Amino acid sequence: MAHALHMQQAQAVPPVGPPLKRRIKRWLLARPGLARLGVVLMLFAVWEIAARFLVDKMFLSPPSQVFSQIQTVFETPGVIAALRITAWELAIAFALSVMIGLAVGLAVGLHRFSHRSFMPIVLLLYGTPQVTILPLFILYFGIGPASKIAFGVSHGIFPIIVTVAAGVQNIKPILLTSAKSMGANQWQIFRWAIFPHMIPSFFAGMRLGMTGVLLGVLLAELYVSTAGIGYFTTLFTQSFNPTKLLGLISVLAIMAIGLNEIVRRAELRYSRWRKD
Amino acid sequence: MAASDVAVRARNVSHQFGEEGESLHVRALLDTSLDIRRGELFCLIGPSGCGKSTLLNVIGGLLTPTSGKVMVGNTDVRGPLPQEVAYVFQENALFPWSTVLENVSLGMMFQGVPRAEREPRARKSLEAVGLADFADHYPGQLSGGMRQRAALARALSLETDVLLMDEPFGALDEQTRMVLGEDLSVLLSRTNKSIVFVTHSLGEAVFLADRVAVFSARPGTIKDIIAIDEPHPRKPSFMTSEKFTALRNQLFGLLHEEIRKAMADSTASERGAGGKGGGAKPS
Amino acid sequence: MKARRKRDKNWVASRAVQVSFVILLLGLWYLGTTRWRISPILLPNPVAVWHELKDVLSTGEYIPDLRITLTELAIAFSISSTTGITLGYLISRSRYSIRVFEPLLAGIYSVPIILFLPLYILFFGLGPASKIALGATISFFPIVLNTIAGFGYVDRIFILSARSMGASDYQLFRWVLLPAAFPVILTGLRIGFTIALLSILGSETIASLAGLGHRIVHLAEGMDTARMFAYIAFAVAIALFLNTVTSMLEARARQR
Repeated sequence: MAHALHMQQAQAVPPVGPPLKRRIKRWLLARPGLARLGVVLMLFAVWEIAARFLVDKMFLSPPSQVFSQIQTVFETPGVIAALRITAWELAIAFALSVMIGLAVGLAVGLHRFSHRSFMPIVLLLYGTPQVTILPLFILYFGIGPASKIAFGVSHGIFPIIVTVAAGVQNIKPILLTSAKSMGANQWQIFRWAIFPHMIPSFFAGMRLGMTGVLLGVLLAELYVSTAGIGYFTTLFTQSFNPTKLLGLISVLAIMAIGLNEIVRRAELRYSRWRKD
Repeated sequence: MAASDVAVRARNVSHQFGEEGESLHVRALLDTSLDIRRGELFCLIGPSGCGKSTLLNVIGGLLTPTSGKVMVGNTDVRGPLPQEVAYVFQENALFPWSTVLENVSLGMMFQGVPRAEREPRARKSLEAVGLADFADHYPGQLSGGMRQRAALARALSLETDVLLMDEPFGALDEQTRMVLGEDLSVLLSRTNKSIVFVTHSLGEAVFLADRVAVFSARPGTIKDIIAIDEPHPRKPSFMTSEKFTALRNQLFGLLHEEIRKAMADSTASERGAGGKGGGAKPS
Repeated sequence: MKARRKRDKNWVASRAVQVSFVILLLGLWYLGTTRWRISPILLPNPVAVWHELKDVLSTGEYIPDLRITLTELAIAFSISSTTGITLGYLISRSRYSIRVFEPLLAGIYSVPIILFLPLYILFFGLGPASKIALGATISFFPIVLNTIAGFGYVDRIFILSARSMGASDYQLFRWVLLPAAFPVILTGLRIGFTIALLSILGSETIASLAGLGHRIVHLAEGMDTARMFAYIAFAVAIALFLNTVTSMLEARARQR
């Protein structure tokens, strides 16, 4: 019995090595976020080494240089104005996408019949490679911000239409039946049953819509731009200035991440009652 | 008891999940020992979370206990023993992308049975459980009872000495359970397998088992072992006999208190890994 | 019976609405270019577009551009699918590495990677290499993420069951993990393929010397709008065709 107890004590801790090493390992294991950071740092290190020693300076700049010289990007005349213009293009395109998307989504989704008729058309348009008609947009809207906004809207409305329509359509019939049985009229059913039910889908659609708007506006900017950031990406590319180019791209990437994050958080907040 | 009569020997098995102080720390098993005789059907019964499934996983080598040891036959259990131990799980563990026949054959392939032998043995097992006509069906096309029979066929085809069953009939309706229980009893009488069977059902335990181990609430340890002296194959008439009722009542008496304790424990504390299926951590 | 007849009636009615919608659009298009005198540079006559399309198809003018685009697509997709599946499998092997890498990959994916096109142009030039590189980069992510999801979330009971029967690592992979993960991975491949095509067309439009996207831009710059419309229709048709084929392949393979 005493022997058995002793065996129990000794084996209470799984024997994996000296206690300190094991504690460190357990500590790391409990913090994947830290490990992730480690991976990111390692990637930056690889970038740094590759840019410094392996690749021609003309084609790639090390991150240390990119980030220390980020100021020069902003100091380049016109860049800050261009960023502001691009931000406006994104904001307007997103706002328009949401309004149009919501309106069309509701119109298509509210009635079985309109859903059956028009949804296939919407889905077909959603699936076409819009990038092929980018030159058309420029043709129609010019090379200024209007075409960027239009192209952004054209990418942003579809996910919103689809998700809003779906959110309206897939409310459980039992909820509608029970509302009707309590005497609600059409407007009340919409306002208190259908509309709130659709909100999480709407926010999900907005999240996808933001991705679409970003894609549309940026594509248009990269294609042709006289005052937007597309102008400067072309400039830095053609003058073989990877430092500034990477700097600008980083700024834009951060902006994109920020916008995506805002919409994502909004979605989480307003979807709290949904289980999925 | 001669060593050769003992199919499974567990000594002072304790197991905890997580470390002390962590939120997920659970003491599933405490100092459990038992001997399972060759050819007997041994039942483990107890309240939820009492560690009976954990003990089963330890016996099967799917879980390394924090202390104690288990022997199957003459071998120390250090990992899965596909040659000696076959498993039937509660949930459907048949691969949905393969037919019933393929599922049974795959089991043998994993075990190392030569290709030529697999199909005939598979068909034999399927016939033994009455599924010979469904060999080319997919699990999705079968009812729950038939799926478990297929899982049993797979385990039988491995021709092991020991069969471990973790609430195999738990997801089935009562009528199917009864029928499958009778079939299992018939099968047992024909082979010399040692079966360890985890269940929640008192009736099932009394009907099937030669001995029943009653577990206490968490941390689980064996409270008592009841012997059921009735030869296999057991007839349906056994279930309505006085002997059955008396044994069932005895079992109930032992369990009731533990069940109450387990319920109080689970409402008081937070969720833990528990006994059922909390099972094998990544090995 | 009555419900079925009503449903059929509705189906016919919606089809009718769709058809009349399309006819209405075509009608407006035709009127716009003939009656209402919209400049042919902005909106070419549909009949003219049709003629141009026939010309392009019959002379085989489209062939070199199509070949370039499809080659870029094939190479980009081969690269992204092999690296995506391999890396996805490796990452999926431990719960911990999934927790480390998956959010990282998902995060990078959420950035519009098209932003990096100028960098790729700087690095690889205007030729097919930059398109292939960008296409491979962008399509890598849905493939790797779906592969991680496919292999990483296989129901544990299958793994447990196979291990208890003595399955070796290879046997586990071949007979359990692979068939279980297959449908999800296939979806990832389909998405990756579609995205690769879109990004290749996009980068051809923005900065290229050849390929379908470039051809459309070239015609736009030359104000040859009718022919441009023809090529757009052609490109869209190719894209829709490829989409349908991949969707069908995916559906067929998932049937089991």
